[in-house]
Amino acid sequence: MSTSVEQRTGAGRRGPGSGEVAAFRNVSKQFGAVKAVNDISLVLHPGETVAFLGRNGAGKSTSIDMLLGLRDPSAGSVTLFGGTPRQAILDGRVGVMLQSGGLMPDVKVRELVGFACGVHPRGYQVDAVLATAGITELADRMVDKLSGGQEQRVRFAIATAGDSDLIVLDEPTTGMDVKARQAFWSVMRAQADAGRTVLFATHYLEEADSIADRVLVMHNGRLIADGTAAEIKARAGQRKISFDLHPQDGADLSLLKLLPAVSSLDVSGHTVRIGSEDADATVAAIYRAGFYPRGLEVAGVGLEQAFFAITGEQDAADESAALGNALDKGNAR
Amino acid sequence: MTTLIKLEILRVLRNRRYLVFTLILPTVLYLVMVNAYGKVDSLGGVSIKAYFMVAMATLGTVSASMTTNANRIALERKSGWARQLRLTALPGYGYVAAKIASTAASTLPSILVIFVLAYSEGVRLSASEWLLLGLTLWIGGFVFAALGVALGYSAAPDSIQPIIMIVYTVMLILGGTYGQFGGSFGAFAKWTPMALYNQLGRVAQTGASLDGGTMAAVLGYAVAFISLAAFLYQRDRRES
Repeated sequence: MSTSVEQRTGAGRRGPGSGEVAAFRNVSKQFGAVKAVNDISLVLHPGETVAFLGRNGAGKSTSIDMLLGLRDPSAGSVTLFGGTPRQAILDGRVGVMLQSGGLMPDVKVRELVGFACGVHPRGYQVDAVLATAGITELADRMVDKLSGGQEQRVRFAIATAGDSDLIVLDEPTTGMDVKARQAFWSVMRAQADAGRTVLFATHYLEEADSIADRVLVMHNGRLIADGTAAEIKARAGQRKISFDLHPQDGADLSLLKLLPAVSSLDVSGHTVRIGSEDADATVAAIYRAGFYPRGLEVAGVGLEQAFFAITGEQDAADESAALGNALDKGNAR
Repeated sequence: MTTLIKLEILRVLRNRRYLVFTLILPTVLYLVMVNAYGKVDSLGGVSIKAYFMVAMATLGTVSASMTTNANRIALERKSGWARQLRLTALPGYGYVAAKIASTAASTLPSILVIFVLAYSEGVRLSASEWLLLGLTLWIGGFVFAALGVALGYSAAPDSIQPIIMIVYTVMLILGGTYGQFGGSFGAFAKWTPMALYNQLGRVAQTGASLDGGTMAAVLGYAVAFISLAAFLYQRDRRES
């Protein structure tokens, strides 16, 4: 299945601003002394495919619980389609695949998916749902006899049993092998292309990179990034420059240390690898210094590195803020 | 909703545990008890065979409505199925309602099996007495279904199993399933839920009139168990 740039960026669908699927307005959630979610505001628009990133304990699951009305926020408001989450669910506007969503035992796959179709106000035919989820051949198996990856597909079938406008997936590909994951996402893309809004939490960053047209990053209960994967990668700033230097070209390696905007430098044999904050300036300086770089490549960092970069920045900022507070207190005394 | 009830009934009937505790156990116990008490003429004012017919029918309904329900709810809270159901368009009461409805369907066979067994052992009642007794036992089972729901939500899923077994065993012993207690302990034991349920069955069986105290106690337990189930269920929904 090919994915055009247009589909990936969502430009072909109704663009942002043409409605509101879900909205968090200054939402916080406190568990005792712990602030699991700290003042989040965001709006999901129709047709967006949104990846929700964050380490364990970042506040993703708590946010998803509040989005679905499973937990109430301590402060702020969460709305789905302009109303309460519960109402949206009763109206069949949301299909959900929970990470922890157990399945009813002692029934066959077809019976369980049939129930999900039946309970949805605009449910599809059970055979169509099974076929879409790619589990037609599992229809007569008992639910308790499935492998982890098969269970995930049954959960997906339950989430897509009816004509919902928003599909929420919490770690949907956990327990699937690479092939199953690819198959899963091609099915999921079809859902997004049908105009549905898709929100998925994942810890596979390459999935977010290749599928989402918007990425949300949570860290220590706060939303620290919200943009396209490209924007988030750009925010991390880093680009990688690599090239070979041949001895016959007569290069003076010590000049490499004087290049501008370099954050890391690694020379092994003839190969030079540079991490740069400003790749344009660095590359121009390489030529100006008289180097003859062979096989020059400039590449952006992956979303994964960007993710670690921005969460790391946030940690450093939090630490210095905490230190500042401690010093202030010390001075006040 | 009806689909969920159908599925729940299907699951109960497919379950081996149900078969053992609600059909086989009461049947075997009935035969054991009738033989063990072979020398005694009557217990609780009725013949041995009639006494244990009621005792084993109540054992079956209580097993089906209480332990099966409580275990299921505990397991489904743990696995996350209960949570997943809350994300469907099923109304909020749907889950518990389906559990109780499937209980009602699954207790009927256990009552009928014991009736057939007792009949073959020579217990004779008039048609209206059979019907009244059957209905009394069936409806009484709902009170225990409520207790089962309450137990299923009583604690963290992992620690519910022993709670169920203790409540169940103590109730059966005090309730006269294995024979009656005498003296002051017997006077106390006859006010326990299972004993009242059995008493209700014997009253229906003999056509005697029901005294006000028994009636009040039965209604009291019904209200208490239903309120407790509703309270614990709401508490669980708020927490998770």
